[in-house]
Amino acid sequence: MTAEGREAVGERGPGRWAPRLVPWATGLVAGVLALGPALGRGYVLRYDMVFVPDLSLAAVLRGADGFPRAIPSDAVVAALSAVLPGGAVQSLALLSVFAVGGAGAARLLLSVLGRVPRTSFPGRKAPSAGMLLASAAAGAAYVWNPFVAERLLLGQWAMLLGYAGLPWAVAAAARLADVRPVAGTAGLLRALVPAAVGGFSSVVLTALTAGPTVLLTGRGGRSRWVRAGLFGSALVLVSLPWLLPSLVSGAATDPAGVEAFAARADTPLGTAASLLMLGGVWNSHAVPAGYAHPVPLGVRVLMCLAALVAWVWVLRRERPVFGPGLTVAAVLGLVIALAGTVGPGRDLLAALISAWPGFGPLRDGQLYVAPLALVQALGLGAAAHWLTRDASASPGGRGRAEAAVSLGAGAGLVLLPLAALPGLLWGAAGALAPAEYPQEWLRAQAAVAADERPGAVLVLPWSAYRGVDWSGEPTVVLDPATKLFDRRTLWNDDLVVGASDGAEVVVEGEDARAREAAEVVGPDPRTGLPERLDASALGGLGVRYVVVSASVDNQFWLGSEELSVVVEGPGLTLLEVPDPHIKADKVGVPGLEVTSGLVTVGAILWSIARSGSSLNPQRFASSAGAGTRKEIDQ
Amino acid sequence: MIKVIAACVIGVALAGAGTFAVTGLFTESASTVEPVNETLYNYGDR
Repeated sequence: MTAEGREAVGERGPGRWAPRLVPWATGLVAGVLALGPALGRGYVLRYDMVFVPDLSLAAVLRGADGFPRAIPSDAVVAALSAVLPGGAVQSLALLSVFAVGGAGAARLLLSVLGRVPRTSFPGRKAPSAGMLLASAAAGAAYVWNPFVAERLLLGQWAMLLGYAGLPWAVAAAARLADVRPVAGTAGLLRALVPAAVGGFSSVVLTALTAGPTVLLTGRGGRSRWVRAGLFGSALVLVSLPWLLPSLVSGAATDPAGVEAFAARADTPLGTAASLLMLGGVWNSHAVPAGYAHPVPLGVRVLMCLAALVAWVWVLRRERPVFGPGLTVAAVLGLVIALAGTVGPGRDLLAALISAWPGFGPLRDGQLYVAPLALVQALGLGAAAHWLTRDASASPGGRGRAEAAVSLGAGAGLVLLPLAALPGLLWGAAGALAPAEYPQEWLRAQAAVAADERPGAVLVLPWSAYRGVDWSGEPTVVLDPATKLFDRRTLWNDDLVVGASDGAEVVVEGEDARAREAAEVVGPDPRTGLPERLDASALGGLGVRYVVVSASVDNQFWLGSEELSVVVEGPGLTLLEVPDPHIKADKVGVPGLEVTSGLVTVGAILWSIARSGSSLNPQRFASSAGAGTRKEIDQ
Repeated sequence: MIKVIAACVIGVALAGAGTFAVTGLFTESASTVEPVNETLYNYGDR
């Protein structure tokens, strides 16, 4: 059968559904391979990733002082937990990162390659097998790389959800120049749903990644600034639930975070090379197993270089409309990531954060290699396309052999990201394992929920992170007790980071009431526990319960007649403060959070209703020349 | 020709990294577990 015949068959047969199926299948398969046991029954706990049974929406909305970092991601989790078990919600969230991200990158590459040049076939073409392999390579590379692995091991699932939405946001940003403003804005809002759920860091990443595309696509002049206004407005609209409370919180960000969270070398090749290969996370415990071994490291270096060369090739050959903007975003992101690794850059970032806490997200430098991850993913897909582009047009015996070699090499590129980072495989080599909460935790949650009297829960030991081995896999995690109860919790939100010289950097927390509680607790710096607790002082803070969420030797409550034990177990003790001491009022859900959340949800619903689907076909023009349009399903 | 060379490089990379994944990865992952017998933990260490 000739190439033309094959393509004709493709348009009637698998060619119709393959371009839709392959991107999502790529993301889903990568997700299952990466998460593996983490998708099982129970809760995966790791650093910032804390899911609890029956997360309270009211408690999330009431939040704490300082920036509302848990909004909107925890609010969405709480809403879904009303209809699904918390563990299932977590599995859904984690799998969504891979499915949405993989599909987005794969479809974005298909949109670039969708116009088959030098063809006699009019209209839309079914992608060849080579193109599908190329799109699968792009999808696999986007969700299987050091950035995703390290952020997953750091438990930042909400930020990763925003990362997954970046290809969709870039496509929608490029489309703004090609459609009427209302349609473009609606498409943009749909593409920003992952960022809306992800919150603070996700929106910042989206602005960095898609912003240059808005400015560098289409006509300049007034039209450019109209598009920029629409893009900015859409970002503000999806940010309202956390943006407005942040602006009125009066919270500050500690500039010490610049030193603590700056990118670091996680390979022997130095910080810059680590970042170029999409690694370099600040926490040495968030590096996948086997990461710096010479064999996978060498493969990653080669893959990274090949992807960048192929990105230049596809930029010159196909001229994707978003190409210049995405390239600028990748370079800008790398510069921001590198800024915290040198003295003058750290000084600049610290000065910016001191001047305005809104610059706080800049302290976590490695975050900003996300646009580079998209560039490299598309580049790897382009490399696969280069290998396979003539495969379907090679008749004859020798041609078939060459085609087989080309397609085999293209398939190899789909698998190469997995081979270069085996430490992400199957729950990150066991680091992501689900566990059930011990019974005493559930009994404590139920006991507090059954009490309608107002009053906060004080969480001890006075330290944010705990070591748990409930799954049999030891891990460090933000104390789940901070989210377990349906009321305000007071806990030490200072972040302590160990420096490479053995010293510690303390990044001061943002909760003002936690600072007051620290004075009452007077914790021993070695154990985080008090010698004794004064019930009247606790009551003055509005504390009704004290939870000791670790196995401790210092049972300071023994011998105290003021604190009564409500629940006691091997790893948790719940104490109650006598009623007469407590000065606490019932706290309602803040109207600002609810109103802004409703506005955001309403805008997203409008954008979906306007299209009838969140995945409506879009098209935008190539910059290759007038009259050459690419039709995509981004 | 260049595509054949590229295919060979990809094959070698897959074979090498695959061999490492099978033989070396699980040994290393078992040796880097974090302790849980402490009361206080850092957010992380650089």
